[in-house]
Amino acid sequence: MALKIRKRDEPWKWGALVIFLGALLFSLGVSCLLLAGQGKDALHGMFILWEGSFGNLWALEGALLKAIPLFLCSLGVAVAFRMQIWNIGAEGQFALGAIGATWMALSFPGLPWYGLMPLMFAMAFLLGGAWAFIPAVLKLKLRVNEIISTLMLNYIAILLLDYLVFGVWKDPTSFGFPMTPEFTSGAVIAGIGSSRVHWGLLFCAVVGVGLWAFMRFTRLGFELKASGEGARVARYAKIRYGLLTMFVMGLSGGFAGWAGCIETSAVLNRLQPSLMVGYGYTAIVVAWLARLEPLNIAFGAFLLAALRVGVENLQLELQIPAAFGVIMEGMILLTVLAGQFFLTYRIERAPREGGE
Amino acid sequence: MSELRYVRPARVRPLPEGAVPVVRLKEVTKRFGKVVANNAITLDIHSGRIKALLGENGAGKSTLMSMLAGRYKPDSGTMEVDGRPVRFESSKDAIAAGIGMVYQNFMLVDSMTVAENVLLGQEGGFFINPGEMEARVDALATEYGLAVDVSARISDLSMGERQLVEILKLLYRKSRILIFDEPTAVLTPEETNRLFEALWRMTEQGKSVIFISHKLEEVIALADEIAILRRGRIEGELDPTAIESKAELASRMVGKEVLLEVDRQPVEVGEPVLEIKGMTGLGLTDVNLEVRQGEIVAVVGVAGNGQKELVEAVTGLVKPPVDTVFIMGQPWRKFFAESTWNRSMCYIPEDRLGLATMRNQNLVDNLLLTTRKGFARGMWLDKRRAERDTEELIRKYDIRPGRIHALAWQLSGGNLQKAVLARELYRQPRFIVAEQPTQGLDVSATEEVWRRLLDARAMAGVLLVTGDLGEALQLADRIAVMYRGRILGMLPTSEAETASRIGPLMAGVLD
Ligand SMILES: Nc1ncnc2c1ncn2[C@@H]1O[C@H](COP(=O)(O)OP(=O)(O)OP(=O)(O)O)[C@@H](O)[C@H]1O
Ligand SMILES: [Mg+2]
Repeated sequence: MALKIRKRDEPWKWGALVIFLGALLFSLGVSCLLLAGQGKDALHGMFILWEGSFGNLWALEGALLKAIPLFLCSLGVAVAFRMQIWNIGAEGQFALGAIGATWMALSFPGLPWYGLMPLMFAMAFLLGGAWAFIPAVLKLKLRVNEIISTLMLNYIAILLLDYLVFGVWKDPTSFGFPMTPEFTSGAVIAGIGSSRVHWGLLFCAVVGVGLWAFMRFTRLGFELKASGEGARVARYAKIRYGLLTMFVMGLSGGFAGWAGCIETSAVLNRLQPSLMVGYGYTAIVVAWLARLEPLNIAFGAFLLAALRVGVENLQLELQIPAAFGVIMEGMILLTVLAGQFFLTYRIERAPREGGE
Repeated sequence: MSELRYVRPARVRPLPEGAVPVVRLKEVTKRFGKVVANNAITLDIHSGRIKALLGENGAGKSTLMSMLAGRYKPDSGTMEVDGRPVRFESSKDAIAAGIGMVYQNFMLVDSMTVAENVLLGQEGGFFINPGEMEARVDALATEYGLAVDVSARISDLSMGERQLVEILKLLYRKSRILIFDEPTAVLTPEETNRLFEALWRMTEQGKSVIFISHKLEEVIALADEIAILRRGRIEGELDPTAIESKAELASRMVGKEVLLEVDRQPVEVGEPVLEIKGMTGLGLTDVNLEVRQGEIVAVVGVAGNGQKELVEAVTGLVKPPVDTVFIMGQPWRKFFAESTWNRSMCYIPEDRLGLATMRNQNLVDNLLLTTRKGFARGMWLDKRRAERDTEELIRKYDIRPGRIHALAWQLSGGNLQKAVLARELYRQPRFIVAEQPTQGLDVSATEEVWRRLLDARAMAGVLLVTGDLGEALQLADRIAVMYRGRILGMLPTSEAETASRIGPLMAGVLD
């Protein structure tokens, strides 16, 4: 029987959800094959993956912890993507945020938390935003493609971070390890109750709701959405496209900066190179999967964070290579993107020759 | 101007007794959500005849033809070709059955030659040498009397010539039924004449033509039979030879009396709202132009003679040379730096879906696109009020479908234009730049746009850029004719000989 591809007359209502779940299942299926190819018991592997990500409280806490920086970075990325500005530099902006927070924490160690925290968050936002501002200015003044410039700045940011922890900020009592001294208690975000999850979670919720309201109810948010239709429409509507580009990049970088601040303060309690584990790149995957909607980003961030935690577990228990997690992440993104095809097209059975 | 500009060949072609239609639509229905775009439509197409489809904006003409061309699938009803029921899964199937459609935005590869475009995607087309290719296409063109240079690149062709290439593509694919959706909207009168001759020749060879247009005189001159669509239903079929006047046809179409004329009373002329002084650059040469409040100045010319550049410079899309353009008494730079959202300049562009509106947003957001400053309260936008005002505008301008959450691309061409016009007039402009404001609009919508532009003179001056000379003569006080970036003549419409002087000037002939 022949199958045919047909364009849909109207968009598919529940399509996005069905496609997402379908793509997830497909990716898990392929992962099983990969595991089997390594000579492991695939079903057992999937069970361990599930156990490691959602199976118990410890795992869930781990997933939430990782979801926090992922969510903030992804939110930032999504704001820029909304305007069709391809900021893939969240990783570098994240690093600059961490540097900013550390700078404040090391400069004013004696301050209580209500004095120090605002300083750390402000400086993280400022440096992260400034890091994203550079490509924005380059794009506007010299027409440098922002994809390249944001990507390149990621490497510079990581080198800068290394320079600081190997050099000027290195803890003299660390036996030569590249790390800053541990933060004083005023510079550490506390856990909620006795759990490992910290108050950064609440901060995420506030930022998420704030951004949603900003996009929906403010004039600037509207202009941002309109600019997403292209520079020509923006010009027609007398929207100051250049100014908006800089604003959006600043905001985008600032969010990633906050993620860096929270991660340094709450999880590591100091600055060290192991901070950089690629949240800024995974954030791009999350933003796309979530179709740039804040609420979806929250779910997407949690899901991919859980996946990370689960894969770490899998790695320990089954001794599989670390690349496995990256492969899965990439596969989910690819299958979801490929699946978008079904939002505009459908496959149906072709009637047999000669009509009916 | 004469009622009929096109000379119909002197022949009456009655439908022979017992003729079998090539295409037969039976009770075809198509819904989009709640909108019934086509409601139980029954229609016959005969070979060797031209059928015109006439109907208001949003009546469902394009939808019906898209189903015949395999783009949409009917919800119910059947379509028969040569007496056999067909179900098209894609436009490929329709083409295989001999049905082809010329869309309004041409689908041609600009960097390729005419012959290459015609053979593109054809089996074996890739391996034929250019000489052979051109010979084949040229033979086809001569057979149907389509005058086009087959070795020319598409990018060098005029709109009319490109359309001929689209027709050649269909003929090469052995289409027997050719559908044209508003083919003359982008053509000059000259090119329209040539298209009509080609269509007649094709019907003589036994092809069927379905022709959609809002220009009544074209329909009367061209068609062998006329089908009228109203709100998704076939309202009736007419014999064009039995039609007394354009007005009669129009009222059949709309269902009420239509005048087809607007009464232009002179308005007291006030301050200048646009002054262009000796502007050279951007492809223009020494352009001088003045528009005052209370008057309409039309700019006409064959497309591509500098009208687009002029409009872009005036409306702020590109920067003109310093001290050449003055709007509402201020230099260009100062005007755009300080302009407010209302009581200022507004621009109704030709490109409705790509420039004037956001295609994937609803009507409320599209209202806000240029009026958002009027709905701002501090940093917030008053969406409630925007929704209320959108609803009011939809009622006032009769925009269909009347839902504020309809997305821009879902509106038919005419309704989208009404929405843009409604928004721009909501801004109470002092200076209006209107570019092809009635292109693709039905008679009553055209009349309404004309009336509103004339009414706007009470507080505004209007720069009207149009390819429709009838429109220019109806509305304008003065007509500027552009040729190769220059204004060759500025003619007052109060003088009787103006109408006959425009044609030569458009061709660059100075008496
Ligand atoms: N893809 C779509 N989704 C939803 N509604 C649609 C879609 N296409 C058309 N419509 C609606 O169906 C109706 C008929 O539209 P159609 O484009 O066929 O009109 P038309 O007669 O060609 O009008 P015009 O003369 O303005 O081109 C309109 O109300 C339109 O808004
Ligand atoms: Mg149409």
